[in-house]
Amino acid sequence: MSVVSDLPSKTVNGGLGRREQLGARAARHRSWTILIGMVIVGSVLPVLAQLPPFSLAQPANAWIDGFTNAGVFVLLALGLNLVVGVAGLLDLGYAAFFAIGAYTYAYVASPFGNGILGLDILGSFGSSEAAGFIFWPMLLVGAGVAALFGILLGAPTLRLRGDYLAIVTLGFGEIVPIVFLNSDLLTNGTAGIGGLARPSLPIIGGFSAINPYPYYITMLVLVTIVMMFCYRLIESRLGRAWEAIREDELAAAANGINTVVAKLLAFALGASTAGIAGVFNASKLVTVSPDQFTFVVSFTVLAMVVLGGMGNFWGVAVGAFVIYTINNVLLKSLNQFFDTVGIPFLQDVDFIQLQFLLYGLALVAMMLVRPEGLFPNSRRKRELHAAITETEQDELGSVAGTTEEDLPQ
Amino acid sequence: MKFARVGAAIAAAAIVVTACGGTTSGNKSLKIGITLPLSGSAAASAEPARKGAELAIKDFKLNGYDVTVSVLDHSVNGVHDPQQGAKDMTTLVSDPAVVGVVGPFNSSVAKVQIPISNEAGLTQCSPANTNQDLTKGEPGKQLRAKNPDKINYIRVATTDDIQGPAVAQYAINTLGLKTVAIVDDTDTYGKGIADAFSAEWEKLGGTVLGREGAPKGTTDYTPILTSFKALNPEAVFYGGTTATGGGLVRKQMPQTGLGEIPYLGGDGIQDGPGTTEGSFTNIAGEAAANSYSSVAAIADYPGKADFDAKYKAAYNEASGAYSGSGYACAQIILKAIETAASKGDVTRESVRAAAVDPATTFETVLGPVKFDEVGDTNQKIISLYKVDLTAGEGKGDWVFDSQVNYGE
Amino acid sequence: MGLPGSFSPQEAETRSVSGDTSMTAATATGETGGATRAGAALRPLLRFAIPVLLLVLAWFYLGPQQFVNALTRGSIYALIALGYTMVYGIIELINFAHGDMFTVGAFVSLSFLVFLGFSGAITDVGLLIIVLAATFLVTMGAMGAIGVTIERLAYKPLRRAPRLAPLITAIGVSFILQNVIQLFYGPFQTNSPKVFPDSWSVQIGGATIPVLSVFIVGVALSLMVGLQLFIGRTRLGRSMRATAADRDAAALMGVNINRTIAITFLIGSALAGAAGVINGLQYGVARFDDGFQAGLKAFTAAVLGGIGNTVGAALGGFIIGFIEVAAVVAGYGRWGPAIVFGTLVIVLVFRPSGLLGQQLGERA
Repeated sequence: MSVVSDLPSKTVNGGLGRREQLGARAARHRSWTILIGMVIVGSVLPVLAQLPPFSLAQPANAWIDGFTNAGVFVLLALGLNLVVGVAGLLDLGYAAFFAIGAYTYAYVASPFGNGILGLDILGSFGSSEAAGFIFWPMLLVGAGVAALFGILLGAPTLRLRGDYLAIVTLGFGEIVPIVFLNSDLLTNGTAGIGGLARPSLPIIGGFSAINPYPYYITMLVLVTIVMMFCYRLIESRLGRAWEAIREDELAAAANGINTVVAKLLAFALGASTAGIAGVFNASKLVTVSPDQFTFVVSFTVLAMVVLGGMGNFWGVAVGAFVIYTINNVLLKSLNQFFDTVGIPFLQDVDFIQLQFLLYGLALVAMMLVRPEGLFPNSRRKRELHAAITETEQDELGSVAGTTEEDLPQ
Repeated sequence: MKFARVGAAIAAAAIVVTACGGTTSGNKSLKIGITLPLSGSAAASAEPARKGAELAIKDFKLNGYDVTVSVLDHSVNGVHDPQQGAKDMTTLVSDPAVVGVVGPFNSSVAKVQIPISNEAGLTQCSPANTNQDLTKGEPGKQLRAKNPDKINYIRVATTDDIQGPAVAQYAINTLGLKTVAIVDDTDTYGKGIADAFSAEWEKLGGTVLGREGAPKGTTDYTPILTSFKALNPEAVFYGGTTATGGGLVRKQMPQTGLGEIPYLGGDGIQDGPGTTEGSFTNIAGEAAANSYSSVAAIADYPGKADFDAKYKAAYNEASGAYSGSGYACAQIILKAIETAASKGDVTRESVRAAAVDPATTFETVLGPVKFDEVGDTNQKIISLYKVDLTAGEGKGDWVFDSQVNYGE
Repeated sequence: MGLPGSFSPQEAETRSVSGDTSMTAATATGETGGATRAGAALRPLLRFAIPVLLLVLAWFYLGPQQFVNALTRGSIYALIALGYTMVYGIIELINFAHGDMFTVGAFVSLSFLVFLGFSGAITDVGLLIIVLAATFLVTMGAMGAIGVTIERLAYKPLRRAPRLAPLITAIGVSFILQNVIQLFYGPFQTNSPKVFPDSWSVQIGGATIPVLSVFIVGVALSLMVGLQLFIGRTRLGRSMRATAADRDAAALMGVNINRTIAITFLIGSALAGAAGVINGLQYGVARFDDGFQAGLKAFTAAVLGGIGNTVGAALGGFIIGFIEVAAVVAGYGRWGPAIVFGTLVIVLVFRPSGLLGQQLGERA
């Protein structure tokens, strides 16, 4: 069930086929591949948005805005992929870092926040439009603060096995929004912090709420940079250490890998992309409130990582994009779609009420049909499909162990 | 690739749509957007608002113009989602045919939508937002920062900083109560109105014996109520809606020994008779007696009976708490369109100017409505209700008690 | 160190894992592995004394009324937690849809009672007993059947897959269940007939305790004891323990794995159904999204107690009930969930396998 292409992967003589050659070449010049890929994607999407059928569902600007929002989730998915996909640490509370990034920006870039810090940062810029310059350094600061919290929240989990780790991270994912919710004096509680400065650039000026392109291009740049960074990471020693830990932590430790440092770095670096996403998102919504960071967000990002194909960054990015589009665009426009198309039975069904159901069915179906995700690496695909065959063997009540994997290739 | 095939199928179908659609008359096509959370638990309150708004728009006729509705649902997984709300507002703003928007329902969504609609100069009327920070003072100004002189956000519900104190005054002056225990649902509306109530209560000389918070989704209020019982309050105030627990708190008061004392709340628990599924009176049942609530709008208005009948005829169900408000918002936008059309071209700016004009009085199903310079309704009338178990076909209903006019 | 009938797969692990790691874990947590005789004698005593002491403290701090509230809440959490822990113990799946089984159970019992024509309290004791028995049987049976069906359709194909795939599936199932309930019953709260009269009360320790609370705690404890007996004493129970310990070895010994797993789901779901009935009796309402919060707390309870360990799950459920009520009494009700999770983190820092979990090193 080849997904990527039909080019042969091995020649008759056993040498590298064209697909593998392409893959190898891409791997050598990874950063360029990413850059070119993102440029292509970034320029094609706005064009697509102008054409039917897309232009019928919603105006082009709305599509661009949607792509930008999807991009936020792409950033989140890339970071979580580092933690879950590469290092094998099941983090169910990833939204906490997203929240931390967002609130960090809020403290620096809003009147309320400045009041709490006791520093008039916005005022020091002169005009409110110039204040937007703070956004750019804040991207790094937000990443750093989130990374710090990644270490703080990751530290207690170091000795925990997989699923205990999951519940603790889930716990943190719940605790952080609750803290933001109930600390009225520091965080303005449930009302959230508003009046955040939109980003601004020297010539272009401040970003606007109705022109989606500045945000869109910024997001493209961010995704490109983060992806390049991620690919460098997995091809580095640290990346290999993570993969070793994921496969067999005991063996990794026995081989001299400092698992403590590696795991903490996984949390930190994974959290940092969430921090960047948080800063960006806050600057776009110009307000932060605790209800933007629920467990649903954590779970959605996890689903994106799993559906995209864990460990594979492009796959995860596409997975994020697909799920976002399904959840926030497709499912919502089913009503309008069927109304205009006019299929008699379906026209009467209120799809808005069925969103949950369809999403759940899609998830289950996806996992049953293709549990390795859209773009897995091939080893994982073999693992999973072998797993399914083994389960079928169980059916006969026979002794486990004689599966196809064990037969001579 | 399977995904590509599905995508192609959708694309093909949509191309068929292009071929079939389109307006036939020479009229200019206008749209009014509706942005509300329409699935899951949010739908219980917001759906009636949508139906009310659509009812007004459906009946509207103006020469040379076709007005249709563009409904966008910003709930995700059953809960209102500010992010989706922002996206929906961007969608509406990007569509040049949209000249007015009805919504949203929740203040947290309004906070992210107003900056967008303000920058675009798009009229936005909310049937239900009551948080005062959306229009008043510094927070309100921050939201309109792009176009501070051209306000675009109006609402037909009056604010919690009036509603909360109104309930407090009623309880202390009319019901003669002195001590109270307060529960809120930790959400923007619930906590806001509870804070306003609490401050006024103490200002009037009463005592707040206890204050607790329980997020929505809580089903068990017995520990909170048991601890209140130990304090012996004369009443319990709930800041929040029935959906976030208002009915449950009242329902659990008898079994924790607090069944005899009155129960106070805001418009969040005033939501219809006991025959309506999931309403306060329906959930609390017998325990609903001796409960008081307010509505941040005029309640006893001429024409209510007509509106209810019309609503029932169209949708085959009783109108909800916000149906009238949704209808009124739509009426205001439509009137603004008419005014703009009479003066020349119907553009977003001309509609906006007509809608927020402080000199205009709009005749709506809620009575005459005027907006002040920040977009709040001048109709600062708070209506107070209490539960009568014999009304509502014997299942209980809120009956009008009195109204107080806090306006000039 | 297995408690009779405890479900831990870890028991087998302790024996099979290399000596080094268990020693490391042991010293890391400060346990001496019973090295000294005094230590060996003291520990069981401590294990017994500490809970009793805490209970007494709780009684005095909370007062009898709140104590009972905590027990009631804890019973519900405990019953749901049992299902989580059993399923995890046997197939290592965090079944996120389990909380929604609780909700479905609440609605099944609601519909059953409405179908029978009841809407309020039943004062005739005989009739009440019959109705209650019928409701429990029907609900638990229905939930058991639904649980087995879901397992067959959604989880079985992914049985040997890495943990994440079935996790996503479980959440997908959770969404489906919630939406289906919502389609039938609407998005708002629905009244559930409170057939057990609130007004019956009994005097315990000078305080007036509702009989309903006594009933609830009684039912919950009976079910838990019944479960322990089943797991510990019956053949099926032994199959479950064997499968949890080492699935392949159990298969080699002739255990029918599929049937065993199905039965595990059946029992777990039935217990969640019982929790749903109790919820309806006590609070009188149900809503389609009740399961999420309850499930989350129950899962926390299961982990707190040591996931895979049934006694631990029950214990965890009660502990969480008490923590939440204590938080309200102390005036920190808003922080309840944060305190619960905070407790979990602290416990796991000192005992990485939960309160009653086995001490071990990293399982590869």
